Amino acid sequence: MKRLLSWVLAAVVLSGIAFFMGGYANDVYRKLLLWVALALSYNFLFGISGQVAFSHFSFYGIGAYAVVIFVFQLGLPLPLAVLAAAGLCAVLAAAVAIPSTRLEGFYLALATLAFAQLFVVVLNEGGKVTGGPGGLADYRLPEILGFRLAGPWYTALIVLLVLGTAALLWRLDRSWFGRACRAVRDSPEAAAAMGVDVARTKVIAFTLASTLAGFAGMAYAFVDNTVSPTIFGLENAFLLLFMVIIGGSGSHAGAVIGAVLLYLLPFGLSPLIGHHHALVFGVVMVAAILLQPKGLVGLAGLVRRARA
Amino acid sequence: MILAVAGLSKRFGGLTAVAGLDFVVGKGEILGLIGPNGAGKSTTFNLIAGVSGADAGEVCFAGEPILGLAPHQIARRGIMRTFQHNRPFAGMSVTDNVLVGAHVRFSRRVFGNAGEERAQRDRAEGLVEFVGLSGLQAADVVTLSFGQGRLLEIARALAGEPRLLLLDEPAAGLTPVEAERIAGLIRGIAARGIAVLLIEHDMRFLLPLAHRVVVLNFGAKIAEGTPEAVRADPAVLNAYLGSHAPA
Repeated sequence: MKRLLSWVLAAVVLSGIAFFMGGYANDVYRKLLLWVALALSYNFLFGISGQVAFSHFSFYGIGAYAVVIFVFQLGLPLPLAVLAAAGLCAVLAAAVAIPSTRLEGFYLALATLAFAQLFVVVLNEGGKVTGGPGGLADYRLPEILGFRLAGPWYTALIVLLVLGTAALLWRLDRSWFGRACRAVRDSPEAAAAMGVDVARTKVIAFTLASTLAGFAGMAYAFVDNTVSPTIFGLENAFLLLFMVIIGGSGSHAGAVIGAVLLYLLPFGLSPLIGHHHALVFGVVMVAAILLQPKGLVGLAGLVRRARA
Repeated sequence: MILAVAGLSKRFGGLTAVAGLDFVVGKGEILGLIGPNGAGKSTTFNLIAGVSGADAGEVCFAGEPILGLAPHQIARRGIMRTFQHNRPFAGMSVTDNVLVGAHVRFSRRVFGNAGEERAQRDRAEGLVEFVGLSGLQAADVVTLSFGQGRLLEIARALAGEPRLLLLDEPAAGLTPVEAERIAGLIRGIAARGIAVLLIEHDMRFLLPLAHRVVVLNFGAKIAEGTPEAVRADPAVLNAYLGSHAPA
């Protein structure tokens, strides 16, 4: 009961602040929230399940493109388009995950890297369906029952998406399924000896996390009201990886902290050093892996223990 | 009789690792599988646990053939194992490690099963205490000593409520005091009606513990019987000490 109340309170506060923001701040806030949603699901895939995949940001793109194509080219009503886009993400994710269970570590990384590259090629060469290099634009969120979510109300919807993602993953992580995922990450042989179906666990974790990325992508499609191939390249796939590692791989709080920090960092750094913030990212990343593999969350734990 | 192995064979290229092995394990029995290095103990163990496939023979558990099943399917049937080189789930607490062992005891539900989760957690904490790791329930597994890690291996395997427990050299690397503690624990487990099959090459640990012993050499069974009978068997002395050594 107390837990439910704190989730409701979080929803009210996080959506509430959107109503006191201007248009630009709202835009930044929405994108920040979407990065948090992505980092949370990527943490489940990479940090908790131990699958080094570079396809996560592509599924964000698949969700975004799919919902736009389904609504504006196939003429599906929005709720149906959302379901169909989620289904498409799940099917594609399973199609990547099932053959990949035969591959481990390095090879899964390569296979998903190839998938991410292929996705960008498909977007560029997709003709009228994907809009080619220019992408798709000039559309608006359709009305539902004569009502169109806009401004801070759309931000509130994104807040619900983030909290829903967090609640689902938090719950799963504290169940036999989350423990099975961590066990598979730490020692597949021992996990199998405990009765965990290793391949099945990997496929479910991959499909679930990728589909959640797809939902975030659908929300993104109506933030800028344009989707284009440049956004869904590898640069952002790596940024997502950095967020999870710097925040603290395997920790939900770490994913949130990493996403907030790395998304907002360029806003603080750009006035100082222009576009060289990528250099700072690189240095921070190397330092994080060498000095503090458990990320900022691990650092906080060290400080707490030192005090105790 | 809970486990029946018949005609079990495994070749690696030209090398016959296990050759037509037969033995049975009864309910609540402690059966020791011994032999010199390379005798085929570990191979036999891996064939029963489903880690590798056999070339011939049959393994029946509770009357059903299990040869050819994957390791997780065999665990699901009620055979749990420990590893000679401890394999904890490094990023988790002691209790969470044991809860992974209880994986097959959970219903498939993820939501609305807080009661089940609590009950299994209580059981897991009890098991941690049973094996002698009281007070370490919340500890990170990386802080455990090697001997404590071995106890955790056993608690984790017990969490699956096995009918047969496979122990791979449970005393290897332990101090005599720790080994004595493990021996007491294994007796306690068998007294609960769980069959125990253990590989060991430390005779001083095994002989006072096992109810019955099967001796392997070059993949074949050379002796079987009570520890006393096996100890006096000339074939066993030959295998361990060589035929020209004064016995």
